[in-house]
Amino acid sequence: MAYRGGGGHAKPPSTPLSSVNPGSFSTCTTHSHNICMVSDFFYPNMGGVESHIYQLSQCLIQRGHKVIIVTHAYGDRKGIRYLTNGLKVYYLPLKVMYNQSTATTLFHSLPLLRYIFVRERVTIVHSHSSFSSMAHDALFHAKTMGLHTVFTDHSLFGFADVSSVLTNKLLTVSLCDTNHIICVSYTSKENTVLRAALNPEIVSVIPNAVDPTDFTPDPFRRHDSITIVVISRLVYRKGTDLLCGIIPELCQKYQNLNFIIGGEGPKRIILEEVRERYQLHDRVRLLGALEHKDVRDVLVQGHIFLNTSLTEAFCMAIVEAASCGLQVVSTKVGGIPEVLPESLIVLCEPSVKSLCEGLEKAIFQLKSGTLPTPENIHSVVKTFYTWRNVAQRTEKVYELVLKEDVLPMDKRLNRLISHCGSVTGHIFALLAVLNYMFLIFLRWITPDSIIDVAIDATGPRGAWTHHCPPSEKRDENKKVSKTR
Amino acid sequence: MEDERVFSDICGGRLALQCRSYSPYCREFCVSCPRLSLRSLTAVTCSVWLAAYGLFALCEVAPGEGTPRPGARGRDGGVSAGTAFCVDLRGGGGFQFGAQPGQPVTEQNPVLKCKKGWRCSSLYRPWVQATQGVSLQSLVTRLIFLQQKVIYYLCILLKDPLEPHNVSQVVPVFQSAKPRLDCLIHVYKSCQEVLAHQKATSTRP
Repeated sequence: MAYRGGGGHAKPPSTPLSSVNPGSFSTCTTHSHNICMVSDFFYPNMGGVESHIYQLSQCLIQRGHKVIIVTHAYGDRKGIRYLTNGLKVYYLPLKVMYNQSTATTLFHSLPLLRYIFVRERVTIVHSHSSFSSMAHDALFHAKTMGLHTVFTDHSLFGFADVSSVLTNKLLTVSLCDTNHIICVSYTSKENTVLRAALNPEIVSVIPNAVDPTDFTPDPFRRHDSITIVVISRLVYRKGTDLLCGIIPELCQKYQNLNFIIGGEGPKRIILEEVRERYQLHDRVRLLGALEHKDVRDVLVQGHIFLNTSLTEAFCMAIVEAASCGLQVVSTKVGGIPEVLPESLIVLCEPSVKSLCEGLEKAIFQLKSGTLPTPENIHSVVKTFYTWRNVAQRTEKVYELVLKEDVLPMDKRLNRLISHCGSVTGHIFALLAVLNYMFLIFLRWITPDSIIDVAIDATGPRGAWTHHCPPSEKRDENKKVSKTR
Repeated sequence: MEDERVFSDICGGRLALQCRSYSPYCREFCVSCPRLSLRSLTAVTCSVWLAAYGLFALCEVAPGEGTPRPGARGRDGGVSAGTAFCVDLRGGGGFQFGAQPGQPVTEQNPVLKCKKGWRCSSLYRPWVQATQGVSLQSLVTRLIFLQQKVIYYLCILLKDPLEPHNVSQVVPVFQSAKPRLDCLIHVYKSCQEVLAHQKATSTRP
């Protein structure tokens, strides 16, 4: 799991992330924490980050921690809502700027976030996604308030273009004084360490997971002809252009080959053009946007799952497909080679030619009957990535973080100036000072003592949760360790 | 039996809760808070006079005019000062609708009479009182964002006489006083006691 520096042993790409030993994080935890997850991306928006935050929060609640989520309002969904098991979600009335990310001035969210952190007695602020400005704002304010901070990066980013340079600079500023950073794969860790100029010792790798009970195989629902399933957003980053090249070539070569494509996006028009031009209406089905509950029903109709992503930190879609018993063919980009063992995935270069070869190889294996049965694939995959395991590992990171000191203001300013360059460092040091003065002003206007302490829905004194006693929890820890 | 307790509102101001118990079925809750404090009066007066001074300064250096016409400066100053005086006086009067500075004014008098339902009275001035009689289903606390704060609200759920099991309306109480959670919990528990007593007597053969 976590790369703890020192030895500097890099993981071989073929070994799945799930099989890595937790190393120094082997001790069982009994302390409960008050955790605040912050991100612009949460339900009702759908995606990997949203799912990760929800599932991780649920597992942490089950392990006896108090968890709240802070995100921005989505349409009419504003205010405070309770989800399953008393998971409290604050939908803050902040304006969305671009792509579900809120506009930031670095200061305007301080009053509300400070009020929430104080009333919920938050001890750890855990922000998610480098594209979320609210996550960075929360980190900035939490550090000003002297709270412990953890950040999870879910994506890969470039280095060359102007936008990347600027974004990476902001990431450097945001993460230079953050206590701990979590990445979802070793490739993602390498990317984040380089982008934000971080010490690798404070970056851990904890992969995503799937709920194996949601993704079970059903061979009786498979079509008679060979069916290739593609489920992804139809955008450039997901390699929809490659898919447009693959479809006519393989349909011409194999008469009993069909495609089922789930997902929506701006590149759908290109797929429709291809279908029109080659008259493939009866062989290529475009399902449009799918709800998460419908994904399994689509997956089990196919034999092969195709992923054409051009960049991916950790591809949950291929784990879900493998859990449904499909043979996976995927591009060899980002963290994908780390996700599944070689026996369950055919890796290809991100080109039409290579992907066609990979698919032909999978079709040949399917016809010759050399592929493992869907049940066998499922039974192997279901032990790889579980949310309980992810929660347990994240809990160890929290334990580690709480042992560290939060940087006092003078050291924080020194860190910003020495780590982020003289110009950027001085600018953000000034902003940190202004933020601190704003905090003092807010404390004068509304002292912490007159802020009502929230009634806990989760955690040790939670009104909703009935978490297991410590002895039972220890037994669970043992069970989880055995599954690794 | 009368019981008075002191709590605070969400800004830390003093707030008194009077609880009168007439019978096991009837309790009255009255939240009193000073409507006008010296601090707010000073702040409002200062800001009005600063705005008037700003207006006067702007009129004095109007663009495109070299030297002000004779008497113009005095006239502009007089208008600004007069406006500020009127605003201040009018605002002060508005504040003092029902009380002198520092004196408590009853904002709301929700009275629980279980046999007749819930009566919510709002006392705007000593001589004006609006009363709403409703059928009570239950009480709930809600969490809302108020400006840059997250506060608890006590709400009563109203019963629809045609469909007694459905909630027809949610009415927030103590809206202007904004008491803190400990005060709301006290009211909530007292109301639940009355409701429980009513339920017990109604189910008794």
